[in-house]
Amino acid sequence: MKEKKSVKPSLKHQSGHVSSFKFAKLFDPEAFWDKDQLGDVLHWIRQIVALVCGLLWGSIPLVGGIWLVLFLLISSGIIYGYYAIILKVDEEEFGGHGSLLQEGLFASITLFLLAWTLVYSLAHF
Amino acid sequence: MATPSFSAFKYSDSITIAGISFFTAIVCEAISWLLIYRRTSYKSLKSAIDKASKKLETMKTDSTALRKSKTKKIDRVETSLKESSRDLSLFKFKSGAVVALILFAVFGFLNSLYEGKAVAKLPFVPLRIVQKMSHRGLQGEDPTDCSMAFLYFLCSISIRTNLQKFLGFSPPRGAAGAGLFPVPDASKTN
Repeated sequence: MKEKKSVKPSLKHQSGHVSSFKFAKLFDPEAFWDKDQLGDVLHWIRQIVALVCGLLWGSIPLVGGIWLVLFLLISSGIIYGYYAIILKVDEEEFGGHGSLLQEGLFASITLFLLAWTLVYSLAHF
Repeated sequence: MATPSFSAFKYSDSITIAGISFFTAIVCEAISWLLIYRRTSYKSLKSAIDKASKKLETMKTDSTALRKSKTKKIDRVETSLKESSRDLSLFKFKSGAVVALILFAVFGFLNSLYEGKAVAKLPFVPLRIVQKMSHRGLQGEDPTDCSMAFLYFLCSISIRTNLQKFLGFSPPRGAAGAGLFPVPDASKTN
């Protein structure tokens, strides 16, 4: 079992939002993460990945359902790599892998489909 | 219906739909802010839920040996969390009805404009169950034709969710799953 991190906050947390947020914290494995902050960061990473992949897939263009599956794999891989390898958080403290990987998933799928479809329809017809 | 600058594209209607959807999402959030988010009772309820869910979390993670008194305390916090979540849902019900009405009206308006017209081309063949929406009301057999309903669905989900998150209007995580009708906990009734 992984060594658990301290649950006591090292920074004074301000009502679940990223007001005291520092960019360096995003890559600091020693930083304290509370559930809301980590959830928000994972949500926005997923949305950025969805937007970038959607624009890219649409402009190339990549066609076929397999690319949707590839997007899901890339997006989930990035999220998993981020919290498990870069931040090294103990997932049990945040409700397990399922809860962390679900963060912003549905919104990112719809955003990806929207970007992919719009760029594909506008650029290639 | 497309603006002149976009009319060169075959599927310029998709931009119009996305634009209308974005504008509607902003209007809906503005209405929600007027009706609920700016009120102090909502703010206090939200902070109460945040506090209670954090307290519950630390209580659950800190306890190595669960004593009876501790279990009772956890139960008490859980009950108050459920009550606050229920109050929050009731609070949101009012603005939810107004927002739903607006979304329906916009959907009806777009439907009258783009009924039976393919507004975009899907880069994949959707599952048959999804095709019911993505090919709704369209002529022809091409499964990659996209109807207004599907594009509007994609726009409203992605834009609204992210806008709410960006503005900080998302429901608190602690309240997730606690709806208007609480499900009785079997472990406690026994």
